[in-house]
Amino acid sequence: MMLPPPSTVVLGLGNILHSDDGVGPRAVVRLKKHPGVPEGVALIEGGTLGLELLTYVWDASYLLVLDAVDVGQPPGTLIRMSGEELHKMPGSGSVHQLGFADLMAALRILAKRPPEVVLLGVQPASTEWGASLSPAVEAVLGRLVEQAVNELLRKSAATLSTVA
Amino acid sequence: MARIVVDPVTRIEGHLRIEAQLDGGTVSDAWSSGTMFRGIELILRGRDPREAWIWTQRICGVCTTVHALTSVRAVEDALGIEVPENARIIRNIIAASQYVQDHVIHFYHLHALDWVDVTLALKADPGKTSQLAESISSWPKSSRNYFKGIQDRVKALVDSKQLSLFSSGYWGHPAYHLPPEANLLAVAHYVEALEFQKDFIRIHAVLGGKNPHLQTYLVGGMSTAMDPNEPQATINPERITFLEELASKAQAFVDQVYIPDVLAVASFYRDWFGRGEGLGNFLAYGDYPQGGIKDASRFFLPRGVILNRDLSNVHPLDPKNVAEYVTHSWYEYSDGDNAAKHPFQGETKPKYTGPKPPYEYLQTDEKYSWLKAPRYEDMPMEVGPLSRMLVAYASGHQEVKDLVNGVLKKLNAPATALFSTLGRIAARAIEAQLMARYVSKWIGELGANLGHADLRVHNGEKWDPDTWPREAQGFGFHEAPRGALAHWVEIEDKKIKNYQAVVPTTWNAGPRDGKGQRGAYEASLLKTPIADPERPLEILRTIHSFDPCLACAVHVVDARGRRYLVQKAS
Repeated sequence: MMLPPPSTVVLGLGNILHSDDGVGPRAVVRLKKHPGVPEGVALIEGGTLGLELLTYVWDASYLLVLDAVDVGQPPGTLIRMSGEELHKMPGSGSVHQLGFADLMAALRILAKRPPEVVLLGVQPASTEWGASLSPAVEAVLGRLVEQAVNELLRKSAATLSTVA
Repeated sequence: MARIVVDPVTRIEGHLRIEAQLDGGTVSDAWSSGTMFRGIELILRGRDPREAWIWTQRICGVCTTVHALTSVRAVEDALGIEVPENARIIRNIIAASQYVQDHVIHFYHLHALDWVDVTLALKADPGKTSQLAESISSWPKSSRNYFKGIQDRVKALVDSKQLSLFSSGYWGHPAYHLPPEANLLAVAHYVEALEFQKDFIRIHAVLGGKNPHLQTYLVGGMSTAMDPNEPQATINPERITFLEELASKAQAFVDQVYIPDVLAVASFYRDWFGRGEGLGNFLAYGDYPQGGIKDASRFFLPRGVILNRDLSNVHPLDPKNVAEYVTHSWYEYSDGDNAAKHPFQGETKPKYTGPKPPYEYLQTDEKYSWLKAPRYEDMPMEVGPLSRMLVAYASGHQEVKDLVNGVLKKLNAPATALFSTLGRIAARAIEAQLMARYVSKWIGELGANLGHADLRVHNGEKWDPDTWPREAQGFGFHEAPRGALAHWVEIEDKKIKNYQAVVPTTWNAGPRDGKGQRGAYEASLLKTPIADPERPLEILRTIHSFDPCLACAVHVVDARGRRYLVQKAS
């Protein structure tokens, strides 16, 4: 029997009105219909909220974040980051109200252990107004979704082996 | 004369730039520029008006519900649809709880650090902090050990060099006046407010099916299922009890934490009752209908306009008199940029004529903002909680008068003190207190209807587009937490022909108009003393007091400042 990993949350960040910025929420919509997602995983279209997402990550022990990430690579490049690399994300200095790093800091200050975080990102071609993805990002959406499922399955298997 | 630039203004959503001219240590002139572009109109054209709300609620990542509500109201207005009573109540509960949520987050997480020095909190004596806490409130979390625990956690965060939440403050600035114990008290409540908002917003998860993006709006009402005997129904007796619990916790937090903290902080910064006034003109569409949406006389928060700080006269408001200038905005109108246009004639044609980045200063005598300049009867207006509370106060709203007078008495301040930076903060807290009470009251009304088996939440008479006229125009409004919000929709052949949104931050943060009149932010900064031009904390205090939100006003052009700024792997 396959057990779901404990309190696993998938968070798709970004705004679907800003073309490639919406790749995270769009991936979450696909994951909701994907048969490979282990049971019990919370799939959240997080939009662009910062601290308001606290309620969704409160009990998470494993958090998979899907988002557009500007790393200066060709559009459509998939990026995976975890652990120390994520600490380089700026906090309130960014133009967004209170960012993802603030969310993790908020958990720490509330004496909650922050979850293990893995970020799967896509280099955007455009974040201008537009209700659809650019061709370069649309072309890798399927791969992003499959990679997300693989991450969840790998996590699920690792949890099982720890239990065993 | 020196010019100082604050760009970006941090701890807000979106991108705002302020340029201020300094003359002898005080601000002699100011310009506000939203360096972004709004394009929702372009996305909505040609779509089914019944789905406009789904798109508009994505305009802003922070206030997700307000555009949904405004949009369904605009389409209902165009098609002549009245929603059932239960839908009206559910919408009021969702909107009022958004006030409580947003106002708490604004005070503690977006604004408090302009007044509270976190580094001083680390020097506070937890025992004295406990005494201070118990002298101003009966809130139970007030022991010495509690404050010591908070202090230790904040210290650990600071020592880890990942200040994050606290990274953008001007720590040590001479304009910070709170004693160490008041700083620690405020930081402790900053932390408590984080936990409060996490739990309280479940009210939206219940009524909206899902937060952050609610799914239960519908042109004609709501899709929230009500059934007294169905455990799976969104609204059943068990859920009503749960909502009531959340609402009463919110009341306790606002009454015993938020309000006492605002009073305590304000008492150390009395100078700010005389700073940051701005226009003296206040506009509120009014909201929270107690009957039909057309019956503005029965709105719980009244509609009206106050001119030139005259509280003896509330002028009637007619949305026909709203118009937008682009004289100083990076857009062009097809018949010239010097005359204003009503949103029904609105155009969104970008025309960037500003300097190529990176640049030192904007050309403020020409076009300098991506925000348009909305005007009411050709006059600039401030919108937001202060406008709403003033319009209610001046209209004789008894509960608002009692709350406002109570706060003024405790602070020993006259009513004119409200026209200020601290006045905005106080009005927001008073409004949160008022609306937390009414969240409870309206949940009770919904529960009563459930008991009477009045379960109707949707009016589907005009759901079928074949019942619509070939052409229709509608105006939808909402007093969003940040102020007056309106959408204008034009429908032709069952599709959206034109859609314009005039959002609160455009009223407040917009640039000069065709007559050279300043917008609300620009006017509010005049005469502000600046202690240290390198660290213009005083500008942030006044701008933040409006609760700026640029995400719905405009859109991020510069992809460099994104959530993740990652160094390329070498």
